[in-house]
Amino acid sequence: MAGLIIDNVQKSFGQTHILKGIDLEIPDGEFVILVGPSGCGKSTLLNCIAGLEEVTSGRILMGDTDMTHAAPKDRDIAMVFQSYALYPNMNVRKNIAFGLEIRKMPKAEIDEIVNNVAKLLQIENLLDRKPSQLSGGQRQRVAMGRSLARQPEVFLFDEPLSNLDAKLRVEMRTEIKKLHQRLGTTIVYVTHDQIEAMTLADRIAVMKAGHVQQFGTPQQVYDDPANMFVAGFMGSPSMNFLRVEVGQNGDDYHVLIASEGHTYQLPCPKAQGDLSGYVGKDVILGIRPEQLTHVMPHVEEGEFVTKVPVKIEVTEPTGADTLVLTRINDEECECRVHPAEAGQPGEMMDILFNMDKAVFFDIETEDRI
Amino acid sequence: MSIKVQDTRYKDITARSILYAVLVIAAIYYLAPLFLMIITSFRSMDEIRVGQLIEWPKSFSLDAWAAAWNQVQIGAREELGLKPYFINSIKMVIPSVAISTLLGALNGYVLSFWKFRGSEIFFALLLAGCFLPFQAILLPHSIVLGKLQLTGTVSGLVMTHVIYGVAFTTLFFRNYYVNLPGELIKAAKLDGAGFWMIFYRIILPLSTPIIVVSVIWQFTQIWNDFLFGVVFSDPDSQPVTVGLNNMVNSTTGEKRYNVDMAGAIIAALPTVIVYVVAGKYFVRGLTAGSVKG
Ligand SMILES: Nc1ncnc2c1ncn2[C@@H]1O[C@H](COP(=O)(O)OP(=O)(O)OP(=O)(O)O)[C@@H](O)[C@H]1O
Ligand SMILES: [Mg+2]
Repeated sequence: MAGLIIDNVQKSFGQTHILKGIDLEIPDGEFVILVGPSGCGKSTLLNCIAGLEEVTSGRILMGDTDMTHAAPKDRDIAMVFQSYALYPNMNVRKNIAFGLEIRKMPKAEIDEIVNNVAKLLQIENLLDRKPSQLSGGQRQRVAMGRSLARQPEVFLFDEPLSNLDAKLRVEMRTEIKKLHQRLGTTIVYVTHDQIEAMTLADRIAVMKAGHVQQFGTPQQVYDDPANMFVAGFMGSPSMNFLRVEVGQNGDDYHVLIASEGHTYQLPCPKAQGDLSGYVGKDVILGIRPEQLTHVMPHVEEGEFVTKVPVKIEVTEPTGADTLVLTRINDEECECRVHPAEAGQPGEMMDILFNMDKAVFFDIETEDRI
Repeated sequence: MSIKVQDTRYKDITARSILYAVLVIAAIYYLAPLFLMIITSFRSMDEIRVGQLIEWPKSFSLDAWAAAWNQVQIGAREELGLKPYFINSIKMVIPSVAISTLLGALNGYVLSFWKFRGSEIFFALLLAGCFLPFQAILLPHSIVLGKLQLTGTVSGLVMTHVIYGVAFTTLFFRNYYVNLPGELIKAAKLDGAGFWMIFYRIILPLSTPIIVVSVIWQFTQIWNDFLFGVVFSDPDSQPVTVGLNNMVNSTTGEKRYNVDMAGAIIAALPTVIVYVVAGKYFVRGLTAGSVKG
């Protein structure tokens, strides 16, 4: 097994620069999730790691071997594709064995590996079927089996679950996690699914337009985003962004918000950013919907909690919680309240603004303050 | 409350009857000459002479077929009948079809999955070959054949048909392959397969429908070719199309319609058989968009 070092990797197709200097250092056995908007270069990065695309500049190291110019077959990397890419003309057994046959492994050994993999993924009864005779979930398993059989140093997954229905996706997610815990192989995994990213990752790399915006643990990325893009991209429903003015009372800073004609001061914890340079100026306040709740006595006592009456515009029940859409500083703002506490659209409702985890961004640079 | 009944059955039936009527007329129009050829080939010359050309046969004989096959004197050739020409055609068509189809598959594979700098231009130039009027290349190509000492040989004809067929077969295969998912190739590369291994183990087994299309197309084109056959061959290597032409034109004296008809059918029979055997794959292959995994 081996760690993976991606050192200032750039990739251009002709004049279009897709990857603009990617740096990732992935220790052996880590589960790294790549997220980012469509077209930001996630698949391209995976292809570069696998050697399916030649990098324009930069280096790719596995363990301490420089693999930048090695052929795909020499990299000992396996990849699971979104379309699964099973060989349609071969049955499941042949699909799994293909890579081993090419590597001239003795027949008996191949059979043993295929059977082990099939057992692990519970596809033993499917071995003689063609891919066209399998369901989506079964194909997904076979695709994983094919890459498992080679016992590679590194696994790459390109949105492997996106073609499955919601229930199956959750099941397979758990299985992938178990598999990683059992095998301990380094994994780089692309997904669009927030929950997949949060639950599976040891660390998440958030990409945008060919750059890594932040590379950290799920909790870091969620609570401590590097900039507005990461803050807005991670989390669903996404973080509220409000343009607010910073004020000062002695040593303490606060921001001002307006709701229904009244102005409120929200005190800001010092730990959440140094606002001293921004007094009297506007900043962007980032606050997640779950920090805006109905009135709960134990929360209300908090030092940085303020009660604000707001007007309900729209309610969206999700089952566990109800999302209440309101207007703060003339901008839309979502709150997450208990279904029983949510009022009707048009009514007023008291909302607690909990600033414990609020974050602030510079208006110009959109970076964290 | 009233319920509106939307009954379109009569309209449907009328439309259908008209459609079928048109189709039947068209079919008769196309089949009548063939039918005429067949019945004439079974009539005797005596009967044709006294009666009319279009008439139900009163006698039935295979004499005309036997004559056309190996009895009529064609030109100054020693061997009689269409048989030697027919054999030439087979010797020409089998290697030409096989080689041009295989080359087309390889070209299509490279142009779809192993793009190189300029491969698009290469493909565009190759496509131009599909629109090339063959009269235009007769002279230069005969010089090429001369230099290679292949003038007047079956091998020369094979080479000619391969060269001018590859444009079409490449087009077929490349358009079929671009619909195959590229991830298939990537997966195979990661599995450790190389250029030939991927072609042989993964791409070719998926190509059956388009191979059938290519084979039928090439077979029909090459078998029916007259121009190359007449220009680039000697009497010893002439294909059946040229033989038929010589037979029809060179008989002195009375025109033997029954023998001519039988000869024409003999010359056309292989393409008919190929189409009957593989025709349904032909249609399927032409319409096959993608292979779903
Ligand atoms: N072979 C290529 N030639 C030219 N441009 C390409 C090529 N492959 C990808 N691109 C471009 O590179 C960009 C990034 O593509 P990529 O597939 O890496 O995106 P992605 O992040 O995986 O997106 P998605 O989430 O939609 O899968 C896209 O704008 C795409 O058009
Ligand atoms: Mg992608």
